[in-house]
Amino acid sequence: MVVQFDQHSSSLRDPSGFLFYKDGVLYRQVNKSFQKDFDQFINGGLYQHLVGRKLLIAHEPIPGNLTGSPQWHATLRPEPIPFISYPYEWCFDMLKDAALVTLQAAREAISFGMILRDATAYNIQLHHSRPTFIDTLSFEHYDESKSWVAYRQFCQHFFAPLALMHYLNKPLQGLLLSYFEGIPLDITSEMLPFKSKLNLHTYLHVHLQASLSQKQPTRVKDQEQPFTSKKMLNLLESLEHAVSSFSFKEIPTVWSTYYPEAENRGNYLSSKRQIVDDWLHRLNFESVLDVGANEGEFTSIAAANSDYVISADQDHASINKLYNKVKQQGLTNIYPVIIDFANPSPSIGVNNEERASFLNRAKVDLALALALVHHLALGKNIPFSRIASMFFSVTNYLVIEFVPPYDEKVVLLTEHKKQLLATYTEEHFLQAFDPYFTILERHAISNSGRTLFLMKRLGSVQTN
Amino acid sequence: MHSFLLYIDPGSGSYLVQVIVAGVLGIAFFFKNIVFTVKHFFQRIFGNKSKLP
Repeated sequence: MVVQFDQHSSSLRDPSGFLFYKDGVLYRQVNKSFQKDFDQFINGGLYQHLVGRKLLIAHEPIPGNLTGSPQWHATLRPEPIPFISYPYEWCFDMLKDAALVTLQAAREAISFGMILRDATAYNIQLHHSRPTFIDTLSFEHYDESKSWVAYRQFCQHFFAPLALMHYLNKPLQGLLLSYFEGIPLDITSEMLPFKSKLNLHTYLHVHLQASLSQKQPTRVKDQEQPFTSKKMLNLLESLEHAVSSFSFKEIPTVWSTYYPEAENRGNYLSSKRQIVDDWLHRLNFESVLDVGANEGEFTSIAAANSDYVISADQDHASINKLYNKVKQQGLTNIYPVIIDFANPSPSIGVNNEERASFLNRAKVDLALALALVHHLALGKNIPFSRIASMFFSVTNYLVIEFVPPYDEKVVLLTEHKKQLLATYTEEHFLQAFDPYFTILERHAISNSGRTLFLMKRLGSVQTN
Repeated sequence: MHSFLLYIDPGSGSYLVQVIVAGVLGIAFFFKNIVFTVKHFFQRIFGNKSKLP
């Protein structure tokens, strides 16, 4: 009998098990080949220890073979995570915390006689407001004479981008989109300034490793130079010390002062808050996408009324600030991500399916597009029709703000491209949205000249 | 990336690197511990004195 299930498109490289969907529920199968390590992981107490310390996602063991596979050893149902994000969408502080969680999990495993065999950044997700390790099958029996199999992977996925952002003080998370397996160390070494060589840890883990990796490897027998657990702990301590010392000094951008500046525009912001709050209380929704969220002023309003909010903005400083707020205040249902809506993350990896595109992951009940459309239409020259079809592909309800052509921000945006103003009118805006959405309500925002629209999609989108 | 790297496992490729890195770290941490012990020793002597009335 053929058993129906869908293997998760991002779960294909590890022969010890895989993720799959059955009747809409996500499960993980553990294969027979990994039985010994998995049983040690569970029975030896490491699983409970990591879950207790909130380093690893919890799962429920499910009896029975749901896939019918002869390779089956165990089935697990991991705690669901409503929104999956990828390292090229994370701010500096989240990538840094993700690196520290990975190192902590590796260190804790050693005291249970196990080792972390996989240190990719894709194994971390924001869960209950903190980066959490999600790959239950990444721990195997620890042989003290062996070096860390995931060392180079950790350096490429975490150490390299963090060191680059620390020394160059630029938001470079986007590089991880180009380098799927982490930023190669020879490239990192070339990009880092000379002073990075004066830091022992950065010198060893990036510069020395890059130069040694380019030499023809000589065969070193394990027996000749056995590794020890002391050496392993030194290695992990050094990585942890360096990562902890990395920091990113935010250079204030125009967006950092957005709310203080907006607060000065009469009662524009308070009026907008009131209208949005009123609409949100009357709608029925579970998931929200806040597009152009800035530091999450409206995300907070949406989060109080929904299961979760994806809070997206292209500005690193804003998202970093929001991430720290989420972490410090334990806001468990907010997912801050860096997304440029003129170029949202594409689908990448094997068959272009391994990591889904942002728009595929962000199907929601309600989207907020506040003070956004003029930036896309005039700042990035995107026609209204394309903006409308983008929202049509992700949301059922839409709260969208239209900023009129005479608004001072629009005048600024079109200073050198006045020709765009010919089609930048409320009439053109509404015409473009007409094939996709119906307008439920419209409301002027105080006397700002700006208007809020509450729209409903024609037909419904399949939410995640 | 040099072509030979394409034929070796990423883990085994970094074995020699880790032996060298861990060796250097062993020496660095050894001296760090000595510095810490000496510092702690003097801090104990002078720290206690400063607490005297």
